[in-house]
Amino acid sequence: MLEKGHVKEIIKSPYLLLVPALLFYLIFWFVPVATSLYESFTTISGKVGLNNFILVLQDSLFLDAFVNTLIFALLSLLLQFALALGIAVLVNQNFKGSKLFLFVILIPMALPPSAIGILWNTGLVESGWINSFLATSGIQNVLEALGILKGPTLWKAVSGLEAVMTLIIIDTWTVMPSVMIIILAGLQNFNEEYKEAAQIFGATKWQAFRDVVIPIIKPSIVTALLLRLISGLQVWLIGVMLFGFNNVPFLVERIVYYTDKVRTATNSYKMANAYSIFTLGHVFTVAFLFLRVTKDKKEGAK
Amino acid sequence: MSYLKLENVKKVYNNKVTAVDNFNLEIEKGEFIAFLGPSGCGKTTTLRMIAGLESVTHGDITLEGKSIVGLTPRERGISMIFQSYAVWPHMTVYENVAYALKLRKLKKADIDEVVQDVAKTTDIVQYLNRYPSQLSGGQRQRVAVARAIAVKPKLFLMDEPLSNLDAKLRVSMRTDLKRIHQNVKSTSIFVTHDQSEALSLADRIVVMNHGVIEQIGTANEIYHESETMFIAKFIGSPASNFFVVNVILEDGEVYLVHDDFKVQFNGQEKDVLIKNYLDKSVVLSIRPENFTVNKGGFIKAKAKIIEPQGSHIIINTDIGGEEIKIVSDLLELESGENILLGFNDKVLLFDSETEKRIK
Repeated sequence: MLEKGHVKEIIKSPYLLLVPALLFYLIFWFVPVATSLYESFTTISGKVGLNNFILVLQDSLFLDAFVNTLIFALLSLLLQFALALGIAVLVNQNFKGSKLFLFVILIPMALPPSAIGILWNTGLVESGWINSFLATSGIQNVLEALGILKGPTLWKAVSGLEAVMTLIIIDTWTVMPSVMIIILAGLQNFNEEYKEAAQIFGATKWQAFRDVVIPIIKPSIVTALLLRLISGLQVWLIGVMLFGFNNVPFLVERIVYYTDKVRTATNSYKMANAYSIFTLGHVFTVAFLFLRVTKDKKEGAK
Repeated sequence: MSYLKLENVKKVYNNKVTAVDNFNLEIEKGEFIAFLGPSGCGKTTTLRMIAGLESVTHGDITLEGKSIVGLTPRERGISMIFQSYAVWPHMTVYENVAYALKLRKLKKADIDEVVQDVAKTTDIVQYLNRYPSQLSGGQRQRVAVARAIAVKPKLFLMDEPLSNLDAKLRVSMRTDLKRIHQNVKSTSIFVTHDQSEALSLADRIVVMNHGVIEQIGTANEIYHESETMFIAKFIGSPASNFFVVNVILEDGEVYLVHDDFKVQFNGQEKDVLIKNYLDKSVVLSIRPENFTVNKGGFIKAKAKIIEPQGSHIIINTDIGGEEIKIVSDLLELESGENILLGFNDKVLLFDSETEKRIK
């Protein structure tokens, strides 16, 4: 039996305050992951092994999904970073109308993914708003006269890398603002005197930006890019909404496909779990590498 | 020919707010100049125009005879210490000092020589491999100084460099700055709102208010021969005391008449008073230490509050409804005592309308 003093100690213990959060993680995080791990390493008959992972590797779309995911994550990261940094610097100049400009730029952030899918679906079809914009603005005629285009473009009739590129552009339109807003926050906390000091001591505007501004706001940039990288690796919905399952395979698209679409075979459920674990490892590895590359050389210093 | 010259310099923001107007100043090589004034008086704006961080709306700035208006900061050959020090947090102390030299494409060995040299001058040798976040405010300040003198600038600009330090450090840093200035003989401009910094550091002080220069002069000139009432009020702690007095002529002698006293005036301004100010009111300004207490005076008053300062006391009294502060060495005086006040001849007279000195 516990002594009275001991009970008091437990109640007073700070660890008690962690219990709600701990319970939450146990139920909503640890249980699913553990289940997934268990499912992925066991066959239907209960045999433990790598069977499911072999099935995943034998999936004819696995390699495509893997490559597409990597290309998508890395290219969209680069594109979004360049654009976001440029726009953040521009907005930070505080020019006349910069507040309105910021507001307009942020609109895509407010749209739910399915709305974005519908918006772009209606744009990319043959008689969609993209083609009608090109036609009414006269750009279509110019491009046709130059021999670049022949008739209305069939945006959705693309596959492979081209389809991935289309998705990268749409993804960039959607999430670039969220990257931009984090970098902008970094810029707005930035003490202008650091930059002015660089210029006084002989730096051009560009050198001051490269040598002083970027390194000082780097924590914001790394945070924004890490978040983007992880969600880039988890892309699937926009691809499925525009091109359907199996056409532009991604790793998470495979998970959804085998969980939702192919219900008949119990194997497919196991495969989905194996895909999940694989993706988990994949995200961990890439995020780890990213953090290693962007790590500050100064150790221990704040 | 002067080393640095500002001619009719004017700064207008957004076509409406005039921050600096009609600024004329000539500085000799090696001089230590302070821009002194309350916040918002345009002193930092003027400094930033010299640095090239702020454009010049009108007028010209020449350094060594050549106009520097329109040059970028890096083309001006200047260095600057910022209020926040602006020591780059992602570089070590060594890298901070070496950055400007690297941009000038100096050889590594030469850079090292300069860095070690200025580190010795500013006493930061043992911190060269640390990051600014591992240093105290005073040490960071030294790094900023080291970085600024490493480039051997034509002009050394300082924007309130001591305002972020605690009181004790501020005084010792002040002495250090003066010592460094004497060692490197750089031409320096120091912006501050703290009069004791300006008075103790500068060869000449430029007192500014509302974007214009009130007076340029040495510490003594500014304190004892203040050109405007603003300066008499702004400089000195406690500040000068003012009395509105009438000027009258009796039997060929000039008298200054106040409700509580009447005193004959024999100063050098006597003739001007007779010529322009008879039967008019002027403002009499008396520095707190220029009063005499209980030494045959002519103003009866009561010591209301006594503030002991160790070496002297500050007597707060009331004359004609005005609060008057007097510095005295009568350390035994107690509050509530009646005192008899007089004043010596180091008084200033101001025109009550223009607030300019009568001389």
